[in-house]
Amino acid sequence: MARMKFLCDAERCIECNGCVTACKNEHDVPWGVNRRRVVTLNDGVPGERSVSVACMHCTDAPCMAVCPVDCFYQTEEGVVLHDKDLCIGCGYCFYACPFGAPQFPQGGAFGMRGKMDKCTFCAGGPERDHSAEEHKKYGRNRLAEGKLPLCAEMCATKALLGGDAEAISNIYRERVLKRGKGADLIGWGTAYGKREAAKEGGKS
Amino acid sequence: MKGILASIQALLLAILLAAMPVAAADAPAQVQAKETHNQAQLWRDARSGQAGFTTVKGPESGVLIQSGGETWRELRNGPISLYGGIALCAVAVAIGLFYLRRGMIKLSGPSTGRQIQRFNGVERVAHWSMAISFVILAVSGLVLLFGKHVLLPVIGYTLFSWLAAIGKNLHNFVGPLFLLSIIVSFFLFVKDNVWKAEDADWIAKAGGLLSGKHVPSWRFNFGEKFMFWFGVVFLGLAVSISGLIMDFPNFGQTRDTLQTVNIIHAVGALLFVCLMLGHIYIGTIGMEGAYASMRTGHVDEAWAKEHHELWYNQVKQQPAEPAKAGQGTAAAAHS
Repeated sequence: MARMKFLCDAERCIECNGCVTACKNEHDVPWGVNRRRVVTLNDGVPGERSVSVACMHCTDAPCMAVCPVDCFYQTEEGVVLHDKDLCIGCGYCFYACPFGAPQFPQGGAFGMRGKMDKCTFCAGGPERDHSAEEHKKYGRNRLAEGKLPLCAEMCATKALLGGDAEAISNIYRERVLKRGKGADLIGWGTAYGKREAAKEGGKS
Repeated sequence: MKGILASIQALLLAILLAAMPVAAADAPAQVQAKETHNQAQLWRDARSGQAGFTTVKGPESGVLIQSGGETWRELRNGPISLYGGIALCAVAVAIGLFYLRRGMIKLSGPSTGRQIQRFNGVERVAHWSMAISFVILAVSGLVLLFGKHVLLPVIGYTLFSWLAAIGKNLHNFVGPLFLLSIIVSFFLFVKDNVWKAEDADWIAKAGGLLSGKHVPSWRFNFGEKFMFWFGVVFLGLAVSISGLIMDFPNFGQTRDTLQTVNIIHAVGALLFVCLMLGHIYIGTIGMEGAYASMRTGHVDEAWAKEHHELWYNQVKQQPAEPAKAGQGTAAAAHS
């Protein structure tokens, strides 16, 4: 059985936000909710890197652990999904998630957040596959159609990879090897554990 | 003149042209020096929660990784749930055992039938607003913290979700009312909750709870004063203010704030519930006349003399107002 994962290659991401747009369009995501976003680190500075981030479908998912109504479940493929019928909109998943994946359609007073919405790895929800209810609440179920998440599928530079963990990590490993940056890539300090050497290595 | 100006212009142009290629050659050299394939520092910064740029609007949307959630999860699902649960059970069992041993603490003498007013109407409205909102908040809060482990396996997902949704909304809307009732109660009761010399004696004898011998006290004994200052004022404000911060997330609070405040809220609330279990016990089945005093606002003279002797003597010396006396007889006739 495949173990589904996302992987974003920061050396390839060009911050085009195509994944964000693809996701919003594919699932008719409501206003104010972004299941995926692109974050650029050191923006405008030499060495800037961009990463596309959404729900990472953690193995030991914090959202799942803190949900007071236990509305989360993990599929056999490791995709973390939730039941919007059970969700009470308490926001605890949002407190717990390190990636800011859980989103709420409202941000109102008295904690009136509405039902939580997040990336489903294009795998829908607990309703029957391809049913109208499922589409309304969670968007399209591409996994049930035998397709991978659209954000990764239509990534122009193939920076964002989505699919079986083994397959995508093999692709990434191959890329790293081909880039062949040597000791500089992982850092002299990481390789040899000398701080002074690490500083010199970083400068060269 | 024109000749001189032209020559100055030519000179300036020549200097500029000479300077430009140097500057242009300098810039890429600097870029190359900074550009390195080792991104360790960048990822270290990202890991520590440093925000980047994103087109998505919202608080902290530029933060790639926020680590505080894991600490919050460990604390909430770990010690807070575990020790909080144990504390609640321990207090409930202790109260049960105490009741089995002592039963309801009765008046030692016969009641006189003469009633004294202990709480006026405003005080009772404030107390019961506080009490009712507290019970709603406590029950709904406990459902959110422990319901998943205690209630959910019994009543099932759908029913529990409905219950939790009602509980969450009640909690969020009743919370601000609770704060209001705390503020009103503070001003109503503060003057009788200041420290008196006799409180030391009460503490030394542990309120006579174990010996069964009453210690003279003013309108409120030290136990009640402790409940007032530590419970209503300290815990009440801590829980209410932390609650308000979570109840109104529309002021752009970051996750860091919400996580910290939630821990304060949970710890404070669990302590508060433990404390109030004792208060509710002594105010209902624990002591004869205690519930009636807050229900009707009046107590029997014998009760006042036995439990709050100093206050009783003080009240006795004051000439009774006609209206209050009338109320007293009415309540006596009713009971």
